Amino acid sequence: MGVSLRLKNTFRRIMERPGTTVDLRPFSKLLPEIEDRGVELRDVTDEELTEAAGQAKDLVEICAVGREAADRALGERAYDVQMLGVQCLIGKTVAEMATGEGKTLVAAIAAYGHVQLGNGPVHVITVNDYLAKRDADWMRPVYDLLGLTVGYVTGASTPEERRDAYAKNVTYVSVSEAGFDFLRDQLITDPEARIQPELTCAIVDEADSILIDEARVPMVLAGMIPNEQDPVHSAAGLVKSLIPKRDYEISEDGRSANFTAKGLAKLEEELGGINLYDSEHIEQLSAVNVALHAQALLERDVDYIVRNGKVELIDEMRGRVAQRRRWPDGLHAAVEAKEGLSASAEGEVLGTITVQAFLGLYQTLCGMTATAVHVGDELREYFSLEVAVIPPNTPCVRTDEEDKIYATFAERDEALVELISSLHEDGRPVLIGTLDVSESQRLAHQLREAGVECAVLNAKNDDEEAAIIAEAGKYGAVTVSTQMAGRGVDIRLGGSDQADYDRVAELGGLFVIGAGRHNSRRVDDQLRGRAGRQGDPGGSIFFVSLEDDLVRHHASDAIPAWPKMKFGGLVEDERVTAAVEHAQRVAEGVNHEIHRNTWRYSIVIEQQRKALAERRKRLLETDVAGDLLRSTYPETTEDLDDDELNKMGRDIALYHLDRLWAEHLAELAEVREGVHLRALGRVDPLDEFHRSAVPAFNALIPEIEKRTLETFEEIDDADGFEDGWEPERAELIRPSATWTYLVNDNPFGSELDRLVSIVGKSLKSRR
Amino acid sequence: MLSAFLSAFKTPDLRKKILFTLGIIAIYRFGATLPSPGVAYGNVQQCIAVMQEGDTNGVFTLLNLFSGGALMSLSVFALGIMPYITASIILQLLTVVIPRLEQLRKEGQAGQAKITQYTRYLTLGLAILQSSAFVALARSGQLFQNQCDDYPIVPETSLPTWVTLTALVTTMTAGTGVVMWLGELVTDRGVGNGMSVLIFTSIAARLPSEGWTILKNQGAWGFAGIIAVVLVVIALVVYIEQAQRRIPVQYAKRMVGRRMYGGTSTYIPMKVNQAGVIPVIFASSLLYIPRLVLDFLRSDNPSSTYIFVEKYFADPTSWSYITLYGLLIIFFTYFYVSITFNPTEIADNMKKYGGFVPGIRPGKPTADYLGFISSRITAPGSLYLAAIAVLPNLFFIALDSQQYQNFPFGGTAVLIMVGVGLETVKQIESQLMQRSYEGFLR
Repeated sequence: MGVSLRLKNTFRRIMERPGTTVDLRPFSKLLPEIEDRGVELRDVTDEELTEAAGQAKDLVEICAVGREAADRALGERAYDVQMLGVQCLIGKTVAEMATGEGKTLVAAIAAYGHVQLGNGPVHVITVNDYLAKRDADWMRPVYDLLGLTVGYVTGASTPEERRDAYAKNVTYVSVSEAGFDFLRDQLITDPEARIQPELTCAIVDEADSILIDEARVPMVLAGMIPNEQDPVHSAAGLVKSLIPKRDYEISEDGRSANFTAKGLAKLEEELGGINLYDSEHIEQLSAVNVALHAQALLERDVDYIVRNGKVELIDEMRGRVAQRRRWPDGLHAAVEAKEGLSASAEGEVLGTITVQAFLGLYQTLCGMTATAVHVGDELREYFSLEVAVIPPNTPCVRTDEEDKIYATFAERDEALVELISSLHEDGRPVLIGTLDVSESQRLAHQLREAGVECAVLNAKNDDEEAAIIAEAGKYGAVTVSTQMAGRGVDIRLGGSDQADYDRVAELGGLFVIGAGRHNSRRVDDQLRGRAGRQGDPGGSIFFVSLEDDLVRHHASDAIPAWPKMKFGGLVEDERVTAAVEHAQRVAEGVNHEIHRNTWRYSIVIEQQRKALAERRKRLLETDVAGDLLRSTYPETTEDLDDDELNKMGRDIALYHLDRLWAEHLAELAEVREGVHLRALGRVDPLDEFHRSAVPAFNALIPEIEKRTLETFEEIDDADGFEDGWEPERAELIRPSATWTYLVNDNPFGSELDRLVSIVGKSLKSRR
Repeated sequence: MLSAFLSAFKTPDLRKKILFTLGIIAIYRFGATLPSPGVAYGNVQQCIAVMQEGDTNGVFTLLNLFSGGALMSLSVFALGIMPYITASIILQLLTVVIPRLEQLRKEGQAGQAKITQYTRYLTLGLAILQSSAFVALARSGQLFQNQCDDYPIVPETSLPTWVTLTALVTTMTAGTGVVMWLGELVTDRGVGNGMSVLIFTSIAARLPSEGWTILKNQGAWGFAGIIAVVLVVIALVVYIEQAQRRIPVQYAKRMVGRRMYGGTSTYIPMKVNQAGVIPVIFASSLLYIPRLVLDFLRSDNPSSTYIFVEKYFADPTSWSYITLYGLLIIFFTYFYVSITFNPTEIADNMKKYGGFVPGIRPGKPTADYLGFISSRITAPGSLYLAAIAVLPNLFFIALDSQQYQNFPFGGTAVLIMVGVGLETVKQIESQLMQRSYEGFLR
């Protein structure tokens, strides 16, 4: 490293730029030692290796043993850069490693290291069930050699299987399953029923996706509410007959929709001439609003797919079906009604925790991903994690071409098909990343019409994923995908057996085409990263149209009226290029803002949850509830069996505690919804939120006691002590709030903002 | 409130924050009294004494008020927080004109961070300008309106003049940078908004000396009387600043299984004093203009117009001045509220997110309703502001018109101090509530 480069790096480290704060030099210094120790280990038997593995306590030994075990079990000898990655993970940072550099193996060796250093048991947190199972099975031989047990949890696992898996040294589990188990453990009424042990150490795979993207959405556990009448279905029918623009309008950023006066009049007439804004019609008003949201803002094959008679959400960042996720607050039922499906029961929130708070419960946290530096500031702010950039084993030689921007969809698609056809004629494999399911289908259709045979991969056929990806690098392969192919998949040149490797490499390797920029640079980079794996040749380009949602929603005013254009709609104008970049930054800013507000408003809820969990634990594990009953009603309890009374008291108290917490959460959701209006009184909405949340919670504890005693009295009056007491238990389902209306908690801006905007408007109107 | 402070000090985390803020305030005050190199401290004190004896309603008094007297004494923090505030306002205005800034603002936090960075640069630029200007004024004696020419503030030394001047300007500019940093530190790690806390400090810093002057001139009884009146005024201001009308709002965008809360927690708070202190500052700034013009036109045999203006529009104890002042405040209150509380925009926002005032249809009816309430509530609000602002003038008619300067018990000062005080206490209270669980957990 040159002196100037070193100086530059040191300076950047002082400036705390993400990606420069972790100094890899001390780690690199250990590499020769690891190598030497590795040579010694080569001659030991498997049994001796396992024994050595159990005694390893320092970094060098852990790395050397881990590398040797992987070599024997998988035939894969970890590169030096992978050893650096292991050390970074053990050093509790987020390691940025390019695609195809073997992150799964790095995680396995690091998990072993954490166990050896006493940080275990370790959870390897994945983005979905498929990866949890795949990685656990794949790495099992390595763990066997290292003398560790390994297990995995998927959505299909029974409570016993889960308990079993969590008892292993290393457990692979998706973030939603881990969070679900945690929330469910918060509602147990028998200490034996607990599934998840204390959270100790987590290695987060695809760290930016889980730590940042998922963190915008709090994990929610809900109970079904049976026998609720369902006004949503009829509302869906009503809204369907409305005409866009005349009866309802959609906001510019595509986040909200509302009725026009005309639309309202029509609805009210259909409903029998009522005034929807009378307080007695609030249910109906909510129903039509929710139905409108489902109708106008959520699009089939973009936001969700319909499969096996069910509405399944698509994760916008990953393009995959989001497992068991639901929209909150009746929206899911409204979408089901829109699609003519029978609406599933609505949920009442019983427990909630943000991904951030959940992962914060782990004493040791580290992670890995291919795109961490872009979110380095956020990782530092929310998780106190630094990013370590691991160099690739062989330098990346992929050529990233500049974006091609077209004026319209049609022109963009035409150019796209033309480029793909010509590449296909040469036999070069092409991967096209589209923005959503319907677009992938449309493009595939156009390609077929142009005589190009292609494979389609999207949320609808995710079970064929492995097979499609395996052949995506084959000679002449054309694969149309969504963001799904953008993360976690490994495309080998020349097909799964790499038979044609040389021929494909000669053509320039895999060529990745993005049909439109995504909402985040990281997703773009992930897609590009499919090409140029481990020093393979490859290329990438993005085709953008000015009619893309991203541009329309976030930069409509930044596009010049008459951009410089070529024949065929190709725009070559610096201002437009800048506007597209700007649109993406706005989208990133919006997401960051949502994350930030989710977090800011969840802090107090999380504290309350912790305080209540403490209380709950005491109720669960001691006999305080029984003692309370005994001291309040000495006569009645005298002739009751102590154990039975304790159990009854515990059941009653826990039931009321859970009920009151659910009510409390509902109340807070209500406050949160309108708290931004308080900014108009020149107060901080967050402070106001606390001002409502804290007294409400403080009233909770005495209320639990009060209701417990009341219930006991009721049983006493009904003379039902022999039968004990059975609470009504709701069936647990898992919705997840995936929609936030408000990005900012002060949409009006500060007074100065408002003043300035008035001045600005009057200036502009005069021009 | 006192109990809140006591329990705040019992919470380790919050105690640290409060002590940190107090530490910053101490540094700020120290810098505000520390003379810049090249300034003759003794002469400055002489000049200030001269000023206080004469009838001197100076041009820079408002600025001096905000800098806590640091400006007149040309201290290290002479410019105080004003360049930063000016720079923020200029950048806000520029976002309207420059598309690039507008784009940055839309890019969320990352863009906002860049704008903040620009604000800092602009602050330093303004600081260089302002400090040069003040040093020039001080050297020519105009800072004290040439009433103090016998005592040169920046005396000649053996060093070349340009060295002294450069050192002065550099020191004051650097001082401004430090003040800016102190303010941001308070916002980030202390309690309250840094800028507000520093302004509060500056105004409060003048209380002892002004109080002493009153005690000297009015005697113990007069002093006690003034203090009593001031306490009553402060109590009144606190009372009215808290007063608000709550317009209930209901949101109907969620189908919630068991709706138990009838929307009592969601409301638009309409404050009686919706406009805050800005109308008073606008009005008093406007009334400075006659004074400013008179100062420029000062001559030995003034024209009749000059005398007329001086008598009726520049003398704060004249009835015409007081009436005009009050009317201006009422006007600016309505003007400011009409800008910052835009019923149409609020109604649109509510409509967009499914909110409505129970019984009132969204859109125009809601906007009309909000507008009606707003204009109703602004009436007492504006009268209250005018009364508080005019009060000191009346006071000095009764007592001694000589003493009117930027008297810190004046309306503007009281409004600012109470406003900042309430805001900070509320923040402490909110943080205190949040932290109460740590105790609860044990």
